[in-house]
Amino acid sequence: MKTDKQVEIKQISVTPPSMRIGNEPLPILKNVSLTTRQGEWITLLGRNGSGKSTLAKIAAGFRVSGQSGQITRTIKTAAEGKPVPIVMQQPEAAMVGATPWEDVVLLLEQNELAGINIPYEAEKALERVGLGERLHQPIETLSGGQKQLVAIAGCLASQSPMLVLDEITAMLDPEASSFVLKQVRALHDTGITVIWITQKLDELRSGDRLIAMEDGAIRFDGQPEAWFKRSQAGTCDSLCEQFGLEAPYAVQVAWELDVLGISLSPLPLTADMLAEAVKRHAS
Amino acid sequence: MQADWKLSGLSVTTEGKDRTYLLHDVNMAFKAGEITLLIGRNGAGKSTLLETMAGLRPIAEGEAMLGDEPLWIDGKRKKRLNRSAALRLGIAMQNSESQWFAATVREELLYSLKPYAVEEAVSIQRIEQAINRAGLPQELLERDPWTLSGGQQRRLSLACLLACEPEWLLLDEPTAGLDAVGIRRLCAVLEAHRAAGRGAVVATHDLDALLPLADAVAVVSGGTVRAAAPAAAIAHAADAPQALRALAALRAGAALPPGLPAPVSGAPWPAPRETALAIAAELKRRAADERSPAIALSSSSERSAPLSFSASNEKLTAHKEVGTVQQPLSSAASGNKRMVLRNDTFDPRALVLVYLFLAACLLAQKTAVGLLLSAMITCLLAFPLRAFIRPWVRVIRAYIIMIIIFCIVAGIAFNPLTFDAAKAWPIALRFGELLLVMILGMPMLKLMTPYRLQRAIEQTFGWLERLKLPIHSFALIVTLIFRFIPLLTGEWERFAKLAHARGKSASIAKSVPFNRIVPTLIPYVRSILRLAEQMADALEARGFGYARRKPVYAFRLQFGRADAKLAGTGLISGLLLLGFAHML
Repeated sequence: MKTDKQVEIKQISVTPPSMRIGNEPLPILKNVSLTTRQGEWITLLGRNGSGKSTLAKIAAGFRVSGQSGQITRTIKTAAEGKPVPIVMQQPEAAMVGATPWEDVVLLLEQNELAGINIPYEAEKALERVGLGERLHQPIETLSGGQKQLVAIAGCLASQSPMLVLDEITAMLDPEASSFVLKQVRALHDTGITVIWITQKLDELRSGDRLIAMEDGAIRFDGQPEAWFKRSQAGTCDSLCEQFGLEAPYAVQVAWELDVLGISLSPLPLTADMLAEAVKRHAS
Repeated sequence: MQADWKLSGLSVTTEGKDRTYLLHDVNMAFKAGEITLLIGRNGAGKSTLLETMAGLRPIAEGEAMLGDEPLWIDGKRKKRLNRSAALRLGIAMQNSESQWFAATVREELLYSLKPYAVEEAVSIQRIEQAINRAGLPQELLERDPWTLSGGQQRRLSLACLLACEPEWLLLDEPTAGLDAVGIRRLCAVLEAHRAAGRGAVVATHDLDALLPLADAVAVVSGGTVRAAAPAAAIAHAADAPQALRALAALRAGAALPPGLPAPVSGAPWPAPRETALAIAAELKRRAADERSPAIALSSSSERSAPLSFSASNEKLTAHKEVGTVQQPLSSAASGNKRMVLRNDTFDPRALVLVYLFLAACLLAQKTAVGLLLSAMITCLLAFPLRAFIRPWVRVIRAYIIMIIIFCIVAGIAFNPLTFDAAKAWPIALRFGELLLVMILGMPMLKLMTPYRLQRAIEQTFGWLERLKLPIHSFALIVTLIFRFIPLLTGEWERFAKLAHARGKSASIAKSVPFNRIVPTLIPYVRSILRLAEQMADALEARGFGYARRKPVYAFRLQFGRADAKLAGTGLISGLLLLGFAHML
């Protein structure tokens, strides 16, 4: 399966150029290797300053100063050779147009799509993220979540087969967060690769590829089940706990059930999965 | 004895001409010695309520009392903030880090303490305590606050609040952006505050972290605030905490009997262990049941169905409430838009040409009758655009006063005291014409979006690109500048408020008194620079960082029927003016 590789990063290190002599800056990334495949959902986890945003930037194809290593990208977007657009935390910061329609059209013009197709592509993309009714609504009347969706529509419209989303729910309230997450999950179901950077563990779903970063290195790369796996019932030694992160409630209940001799499989990550697993266990 | 808050008939409105209620007729009490959570959706008015209680927003109607002290007292001309009440409370607004202006962390803390006028020895002690409680090492005291990490800056803003030892803490989304360790520390601070018999009002979405602490919950929705039992409040929250979602799903799936497990007294939901125990017990009971599991499942799911339904119904009605309150607002806004002109009605080129032509015609007037006619025509033309001119009324008024003063100065002669109208007249004429030109120009920016303006520039001057003039880059810059201006004013208001909250001055929060210029200006400029950097990053991330090889136009502006009408109206009015000027 060589063909479905999208981005192959081999032993990338990033050390920002030093501002002062004799003051060697710490590397942001240390010898990181990562291969992404078509249609994957990658949840990139880590604290502030762990290097996850930098890694995502490199995966998207941006040049980062002080980088060394090898990258092979086989991504075809409308704008050839250009990086995949990234959506970031602040919904405010990147909006340029006065309406969702203008914003996406501007982005596409900037990425040099064929002029005649742009309005059609823009409208189609906005429809896909559920903003078809709001094409010409002034952007300041949109909620934070809707602004993020406008930015995502911009990425979709530029025919990117990969979405790089850098903590896009960090500034949103819980309801808007779960709405945005739902929309992006739906897009993922249509075959788009998603790199989802987050600090919230309850956004994990089974089948995700979870990558946990610390101090510029990848500490874990695998399935969520392995991430939450304890060596024995009742011992608090799962990788998640070693990282000092709070597991989702469903996982905590499953851990406690394990202590009581009821092991649920697959490990429930969400409330619904927990109910489902308990039901299956009963029958 | 610590005092309770009492809000009676409290209303808060937006500023400006068309006052709409942000909060209406709020009757609410917050008890000392309790932590009250404010919950509700984004935009429901949680921050407004906190800012009002901190005296950062004027109260339109009603009263806010802290114990037997009113928050606002009658001053000579207008109400002013009751300083002794303001000193008893401390507010942490959203994103209250990055407000620093002093050289060291210690000076920042001293600035926060200044309004309290405590002795030096006491202040040193208080600073040490506050730093400890916020979880910052003492050596940071001599550091430049801007060299602290993001998390440390958040702790410093908490330390600034704690150093003042306020009776009341008013916190807006205090857990946003904190990691698990930070949240635990915050909870410990809140618990200690309560243990000292003091009170806190906390606006939050993070029920997972804060509901276990809360003594009371107030729901903000549709401009009103009402008290709710912590358990019932969950239906009104923007999103239920994980634990409750899990319990609801388990009950809906009949994996748990309704009502079980009961949380240990005080906690709003059962700990994972209790839930696990209840599930295990239910599974055991099921296994012991003689009936086949399938029937047991279906029968018990029927049993629990009404329960889960009623819960979701409750949530639905809560949402509906919000919807109906907001609807009239938005429909009024859109109705307004339809009545007047939209910002994509006209071609910006047509607008600019008509404007320049009319301005020339106005400036050609040389007589009083001509000026009068010009004024009439300007009023007629501006009438459909009055909504766009309204925000400028104060500028127009100031300008008219200026004209009058200039005329008086020009026409007056001392010794003997006379007024020479002939001398004042040319000034009145010139400035009057300029005023009319100005009024016509005011709605211009509202009639075009920056993007359409950009395209107009590109289409008109695009050929200059061949002469190596970077017209397209320039046009894009124009768009970005227009995008940036509202952000600039928004940030200024934010920092004015922050400086106000720390300085405890008695004036209205919008204006910045002279002695607070520095504490406002320095963080403002830094924040603008950071904002620009953020925007540059975001734009680069979206692909704006690369120069276009050839211009791509997704759409072109075209003169349409609206433009023809505009041009026709402009031409007729202009010719009328010119003809009149010629006849006289």
